[in-house]
This record gives sequence, structure tokens and C-alpha cells, in this order.
Amino acid sequence: MNEQAISLRPATGQSVLVLSEMEEDALKEFFNIGLGRAAASLSQMVNNEVLLSLPQLRIATYQEAAQMLVFTQAEPLVAVRQNFTGELNGTALLIFPGTGSLELVRTLLHEQMPLAVLMELEQETLLDVGNVVLNAFLESFTQMMTVQFEFESAEFLRGSSQFLLDLESHLAAQRRGLPGGAEDQAFVLMMDFKTHDEELMQHTLSGFVVLLFSQSSMEILKRELKVILGAF
Amino acid sequence: MGKKRVLVVDDSSLALMMVRKIFASRFPDWEMIEAKNGDEALTVVGEVHLALLDFNMPGMNGIELAEKLMIKYPGVALYLVTANIQERMQQKADAMGIGFVKKPISEHKLVEIMG
Repeated sequence: MNEQAISLRPATGQSVLVLSEMEEDALKEFFNIGLGRAAASLSQMVNNEVLLSLPQLRIATYQEAAQMLVFTQAEPLVAVRQNFTGELNGTALLIFPGTGSLELVRTLLHEQMPLAVLMELEQETLLDVGNVVLNAFLESFTQMMTVQFEFESAEFLRGSSQFLLDLESHLAAQRRGLPGGAEDQAFVLMMDFKTHDEELMQHTLSGFVVLLFSQSSMEILKRELKVILGAF
Repeated sequence: MGKKRVLVVDDSSLALMMVRKIFASRFPDWEMIEAKNGDEALTVVGEVHLALLDFNMPGMNGIELAEKLMIKYPGVALYLVTANIQERMQQKADAMGIGFVKKPISEHKLVEIMG
């Protein structure tokens, strides 16, 4: 059984971009719908029910973002990262703490295999899963908003939470010389998921999805949210 | 005879607003009652003819709430509103006679289930 408990720490800094209660509600709902679709895809792949938590949202500086996730499991973590660029810039991460990624590979292959073989297949399998889950998730954002963005190739990563969430390195290529630095702010959205095996009556796999939007994207998202909410 | 009543339960204000707008324009003869979670929904007094329930909510989920509403309102038409439509969840809902509506809810889909 692979249980975890994670949460987002409160942001400590003063935010320059404040979301109204309705805007925050709408952003969380988009995240909820996006990850709901992704969970349905993942459920088909693992042939198990995938349970989702409620979305959490924080506005944090890049520096803070890397320190916001509180892990109860030992690192290193394994992740599939997919950057997106265009009108919205940011990073989506599908993260498996502990040995969660190997559990997933084992489940997907439906076979008992030696650990060494599983580890060999880990990267390739997780990239496939990451593509399906993160694309389902990000596409739902484009459907609900008028913004356009493109996905870069998914990458397989293994490292500490500090390394995985280091926006300075993630977004360096995307920011293309835009002013800003560690004090720039980002939206940090997070939901965790776990599979539920009815026969075994236990959770067999857990992980979480983190979505980070850059500061310029925050302004665009806020504008989009105003338009959407203005329709009601 | 009074208006027919639809109970819409969702922790998202945006989701409630979307449904409210559709009902106001397409089904003005229906009264919409809103609740943000299962506990609040169970305090609703009076008859309910149709219930649209979000699945992923704080407290009880949509299926757990549906089980309670079936006892409170025998014969009520129940729909789970979710983007997360999974086979096992669907089997469970089918066995209970609960329908599914994909999020975000569309006018077209609502007209279809009301038809």
C-alpha cells in the first residue's frame, strides 16, 4: 500500500495579483474538470478507480513554489514534466512519490517482472502515461478559455521536490529574456490522486499533479476569468 | 400546481452559475435550489423532482449523496455531474439508476435530460 499525505503550505509573501473569490473558484473548477478528464484516462489505463482530492491553489513566488509542497514520503521523487508555451506559459507535472512510479509500471504491464526490468521500462512507460494524463488535463484548459498554447515534449525527471519545482530552471527557456527573477509570482495548483482497487480493498498507487503558471500567464488567466464570469 | 424543483449541488460557484443561467433561460418554469455540499443539500425542505450532483465535493461525494437523496425523495431523477467518468463509477451509478452529465455542463445536454 502506498499512502501519502501532501499539502500546499500557505504562501508567505505579499501577492501582487489578487484573485477575487469567484475568480479563484473558477480557476479551481477548471483545474478540477481538467484533472477529472485526466483521471478518467488514467483509470482506463490502470483498470482501477482513480480518486481525486479537492484542488488547492496558491499564489507564490517562484522561490516559494519550490518550497510549498510538504512531502511525507522520502525523496527522490519521479515525475513527468510537460512545459507549455504560447499565450500561457507554465509547467505541468505528474509526480509519483516513493516507489509509486514502479507500482504504476507494474500495474500497466499486468505482469510480475523483476525489479531490474521494471526499472528499465519505468522511464518509457511513465512518459506515455504522462503524455495521456497531462494532455487530457491541459487540453481541457484550452477548451474552456480562448487562450492558445502548445505543449513541449514530456520529460522524465527524478530528483528532489526542490529540483522538480524549480521554476527558475523550468521556465528559463520559455521566459526568453523577460524581466523578472526569483521574486516573480506564479499560480500553483495541486491535486492529488490515488487508485482504488475494489478487489484488494486498498489504494495501490498515489501521486499528484502540479500546475504552475508564470507571472505573465497569471495576468492572462485573470483576464480570461473576468470574461468568463462576466457572461453570468 | 407549484413549480417543479431541481436541486443542484456543487462546491463550485461557477458551476452553479452555469446551471442557473441555463435553467433561467430554457426552463423558467423550474425552481432551482442550490447547495454547496451534501450536508447542505440534505437540509432542503420540500419536494425535489430532479437533482444534479457534483461528484468531487468536500464531505460526501456525489454517489454518497445520491444514496441519501433516494431515501429522502423516492422517485427523484438523479444525475452525477462530473468530468471524471470512470467505468467502475459508471457501473455503480447505472446499478443505482443514476445518470451522468459531463462537466462543464452544456445547454444541449441539459435540454436532452430534461426532454
